Amino acid sequence: MGPVIELRRLPCAGLLVILFACLGSYSLHAAEDPPKPEAPGAEIVDFARDVEPLFRSRCYTCHGPSKQTNDLRLDEKEAALQGGYSGRVIVPGSSAESKLIQRVASTNDAFRMPPVEPRLTAEEIATLKSWIDQGAKWSANPPVVTQQVAPSKQKRHWSFQPVRRPTAPRVRRQAWLRNPIDAFVLAKLESKGISPAPQADRAILIRRLNLDLLGLPPTPTEVDAFVSDTRPDAYERLVDRLLGSPHYGERWGRHWLDLARYADSDGYNHDAPREIWMYRDWVIGALNRDLPFDQFVIEQIAGDLLPAATKQQIVATGFHRNTLLNLEGGIDFDQYRVEAVVDRVETTGAVFLGLTLGCARCHDHKYDPVSQREFYQFYAFFNSVDELGAEYQLGADGKVGRARAQEPILEFGTAEQLARREASRAQIAVLEEELEEYEKPLRARLAACCETLTDEERSKLKPAILEILKIPPEKRSHFQNVAAEKAVKEMDLGYTERQAGIKALRDIEPKVPTTLVMRELPEPRQAYVHLGGNFLRKGIDVEPGVPAILPPLPESENANRLDLARWLVDAKNPLTPRVTVNRIWQRYFGAGLVETQNDFGTQASPRSHPDLLDWLAAEFIAQGWSLKAMHSLIVNSATYRQSSAYRPELAEMDPTNRLLGRQARLRLEAEIVRDTALAASGLFTPKVGGPSVFPPQPEGVGRLTQVDRHWAAERGADRFRRGMYTYFWRASPHPGLMLFDASDSTKTCTRRNRSNTPLQALTLLNDKAFQEFAQGLATRVLREAPDNNSERVSHAFRVCLGRQPRPTERARLEQFLAVQLDDFLTHPEKARQVVGQDAPEEADIPQLAAWLAVSRVLLNLDEFVTRE
Amino acid sequence: MDLNQRLLLAGTRRHFFSQCAMGLGQMALASLLAEGRMFGADAAKVTNPLAPRKAHFPPKVKSVIYLFMAGGPSQLDLFEHKPKLQQLNGQPTPASFLEGKRFAFMDTFAEDVPKLLGTPRKFARYGKSGKSVSELLPHLAAVVDDLAFVSTVTTDNFNHAPAKIFVNTGSTRFGRPSMGSWVTYGLGTESEDLPGFVVLQSGPRGPRGGALNWGSAFLPTTYQGIPFRSGGDPILNLSSPPGFSHERQGETIRAIRDLNMAHLAEVGDPEISTRISAYEMAYRMQTSGPELIDLSSEAQETLDLYGAVPGAESFANNCLLARRLVERGVRFVQLYHTDWDHHGGAKDNLGEALDMICRETDQPCAALIQDLKRRGLLDETLVVWGGEFGRTPMGEKRDTIGRNHHIDAFTMWFAGGGIKPGQTVGVTDELGFGPVEDKIHMHDIQATLLHQLGLDHTKLTFKFKGRDFRLTDVGGQVIHKLLV
Repeated sequence: MGPVIELRRLPCAGLLVILFACLGSYSLHAAEDPPKPEAPGAEIVDFARDVEPLFRSRCYTCHGPSKQTNDLRLDEKEAALQGGYSGRVIVPGSSAESKLIQRVASTNDAFRMPPVEPRLTAEEIATLKSWIDQGAKWSANPPVVTQQVAPSKQKRHWSFQPVRRPTAPRVRRQAWLRNPIDAFVLAKLESKGISPAPQADRAILIRRLNLDLLGLPPTPTEVDAFVSDTRPDAYERLVDRLLGSPHYGERWGRHWLDLARYADSDGYNHDAPREIWMYRDWVIGALNRDLPFDQFVIEQIAGDLLPAATKQQIVATGFHRNTLLNLEGGIDFDQYRVEAVVDRVETTGAVFLGLTLGCARCHDHKYDPVSQREFYQFYAFFNSVDELGAEYQLGADGKVGRARAQEPILEFGTAEQLARREASRAQIAVLEEELEEYEKPLRARLAACCETLTDEERSKLKPAILEILKIPPEKRSHFQNVAAEKAVKEMDLGYTERQAGIKALRDIEPKVPTTLVMRELPEPRQAYVHLGGNFLRKGIDVEPGVPAILPPLPESENANRLDLARWLVDAKNPLTPRVTVNRIWQRYFGAGLVETQNDFGTQASPRSHPDLLDWLAAEFIAQGWSLKAMHSLIVNSATYRQSSAYRPELAEMDPTNRLLGRQARLRLEAEIVRDTALAASGLFTPKVGGPSVFPPQPEGVGRLTQVDRHWAAERGADRFRRGMYTYFWRASPHPGLMLFDASDSTKTCTRRNRSNTPLQALTLLNDKAFQEFAQGLATRVLREAPDNNSERVSHAFRVCLGRQPRPTERARLEQFLAVQLDDFLTHPEKARQVVGQDAPEEADIPQLAAWLAVSRVLLNLDEFVTRE
Repeated sequence: MDLNQRLLLAGTRRHFFSQCAMGLGQMALASLLAEGRMFGADAAKVTNPLAPRKAHFPPKVKSVIYLFMAGGPSQLDLFEHKPKLQQLNGQPTPASFLEGKRFAFMDTFAEDVPKLLGTPRKFARYGKSGKSVSELLPHLAAVVDDLAFVSTVTTDNFNHAPAKIFVNTGSTRFGRPSMGSWVTYGLGTESEDLPGFVVLQSGPRGPRGGALNWGSAFLPTTYQGIPFRSGGDPILNLSSPPGFSHERQGETIRAIRDLNMAHLAEVGDPEISTRISAYEMAYRMQTSGPELIDLSSEAQETLDLYGAVPGAESFANNCLLARRLVERGVRFVQLYHTDWDHHGGAKDNLGEALDMICRETDQPCAALIQDLKRRGLLDETLVVWGGEFGRTPMGEKRDTIGRNHHIDAFTMWFAGGGIKPGQTVGVTDELGFGPVEDKIHMHDIQATLLHQLGLDHTKLTFKFKGRDFRLTDVGGQVIHKLLV
């Protein structure tokens, strides 16, 4: 195989350079050009005179003072003898074993060093060989390399500097300020001569707060109470009330689950179901009780390693078990285990540090000060999880047991459930032993080949099996043996009866809830640099560690995941608090103060309000990492309370509203579109947590994947649960979620798109679930509002949008209603078609149908799916 | 004023005057005009993300039909005639072919050295080009002169799901946009009432990895592939609910539009205009969608050509549907047909199972080429046929002898605008293990596909996580030999 091909196999950027520069990483080629034995009586080579000039002119560009590609540096004796990621390149006394010689002397263009013409001449190569064979001695006084290493611009990058706490700037319009956030924002606006937008109407404010904090709209009663609340702190009281709601944990929990790439199936081929909803519930609970963010992180990264860890702290570690699992036949388990570990590194980098660590998987990071070695040091923290990997062997049936494949898991069952299960398992064990005894003569028959079969038996077996049985057992393939054994055993009535008995017992065995968690191997797996990002190409061993650009671990010896977790949320870590407050900000304003919310490295977009970012980060720590304190701070600001109405006069100066001269209008997230309609319909089941559920979905969704998963729509209260509880199959997710930009849950998602498409229109217009919501809303309006169209229109409007209709809107809706009602009164059969057979007996069918049509209009309004 | 905005507004206004029974829409529009909220030079741009865009250079084709043969078809039983392999049938595979290689299902090889497997299928040469094709594909054999084969395709992963993801996204890891998303992101679509990227499925089950094969990952969701079904509702939720006739649906959409207009007048957010036009397109799709999948409007002769039966769910119907889609300006159509994974098990053998899938696909593939050609569409369409990998020259012992996954050399074919037909690019060794000439990597295939659409694969990028991503990752070279 030519190296050009190999090159293309490697997965990531910049490989061309790397492979060329990857001195000695390619043992396959070692034999290609064996170095000739040293000629006797060769001249003594002098480093300073003969070797250093060669290194200087041909190697230092990539392996010198300013750059060390693949961590190889040739201008310093110690570093040069130590080698690079692939290990030693100079073996003093043996040019034959020295990769340096193999590379410079190679005839393979892609492998040879230096990568650019001209090649080293035969004499130059001979000189290097002799120098190595003579012991690779450096001169006593090596010439000083004059080139100075410039202090790296990367290292001075703002995000790596400690968090400061700037004082709030002075502004002219003091009266506008509600808290320090406003001073930072207003100062910037004033510097451009812009005044902030007026405060939004109260009805809009309460809907905004409700949607932002709970993901559910306010009821008309709640709106009235707030609008008429004249107390000066009415707004603050509202905020406090909402932050105390159990739905707060759901709303902000769903944001967190995007980061955690949470789903209910394992991805890849079979996309088998997995049970990890307890992790989802842990997130909701932790947010509701305002578990300080530092603790929130520690428990998710390393709850299992905490001294005297509680069961719930271990559940929290499901965070990094949301990785995909490949159980396709014919795979190398370790390959996909490695992918999962890499994903943990990338996710940790993006979620907490805002760093694209994954870029350093195959080579040193192109933009940020993260080397490939540092990537694998970080990788080492997550490499010793006791999960499916190379050490797992296939079972006799050629499959890994599903239960085992999911490990490690934590079980939750009542004592009674567990006792019953133990009893059942003991019984099964006895029966299995019996079965094994019973099987022995059957197995013997298999070994004896075809001759011993009676004609009657032959008639029971398929021709293909009879063919297999003609082959001597030792010559049959694994698959043939499995097939033959199964067929011969199943021919026997006693066997099948016994087997069915065991199966029946298994089927009634009590099922206890489980959840995927982290657990360390008794002996850690040694991590190593994967040369070129390929796990089969082992480089030097590495130990757990963090990038040198960031503050060091307190104890660098034998650091484990718990040390990493604590380091992530150490008050000295400049990234975690900044990245976290920025992401919170993004949820409220549509974009972060740093727009590249997942990249705070040197490629980050410029900060819109650098001082505000730092002030928020410092305040977050000062508030004991309380997330609720940060929410309260932001939503109480005058900045947040501004109207979101478009300001044409700012369009040119600030087209993307980076200066925050108004609030943003934000289309609701996929789950919240559902939740809002559900709440308006009056059908909403407010239950928090529990196993995922199956609301209606259009038929045929699962047909487009390998295993068409049965989707039986819930019939009871679970039919009307929030969108975040919808069972998420990664290979065939609920289309209503995907069309509204939900994350596909294969990778950490730090920010969703907000698209606006015809397929969204079709969903809201025609989807069965939304039909039910429209019918619910119609029923509710007819039940709750006084018996006249004007009052009913007002009520429907208030239920959906939190405000009264404007006169033109009222007129248009009433006109639409009149047309519909007229038609349904004339054609009651059409009305019956619209409301379906399940409509209550006492209902006025034409009225209900007409109001269903009106409700459908309201549920489709842009304003309905938008946070103003 | 921005052109798109002008068009949108003009379109909306026409709609008003022609269809709006009530005055509120006009009132709202009048108020917008009076206030100048929508028309100031400062109004933000209103753009349809799927509007056709200019390519990097003049394109050879407008559309792509990608026939994805899921599971990995055996090139050695279809296209690659290897007399030497026949001759050595049953002999142990020479060690030199196995050293340093990894295969799926290593355990089935572990028992003894795998044996070479010749094909029992008869091959003959066809057309002016003399391309050898096996007896399994009689229809395709008749159109070989319209096709260009590449017999030396290589890929990076030998497991189904990652290999499919690789063909589609250029990476074996999830999280990158699919080919069709890249194309519609780059070019938009010509169709005003159909999505730009349509996915069709036939065979006993869907492709492994499911929706992730046509996802848009970090590209805007507008560009994700939309599955169409050949029976029932072609697009999910395309039918109005019971009791909502086309007329009532129209009344509903006009009411929604008028109220959205009124709100637009209040808050001025251009996003509301986008939603108004999205609803209008949705309404048009409700008409064009059913019309699209109604194959009964096709001549019987055309149906017979494909072997299509109106109302059925088959690869034949999907091929005909694909033609109808590109005819209507859809940019990228991807057909998945399962299951080509012929390991040799009872149901996935190289005998009847392979016979059957060839019967299902042979005639429709040939018909698609002929039909596009006679309608003058072949010149502006690129047709691609291939799987996620091929199959090994050595046998795999299961219930019968089948073939394992092979990634070092397998066959794909191409037809359409700018493709030089009647040729085979690449030569494999005499046993068919690997290329000896013109090794073609999957990234090269992707680069070439984009090239035919007028897109430079190194320039079609999207910045994400501080880096410019592209379909071909850091590789890919246009296969100029394949082109006119």
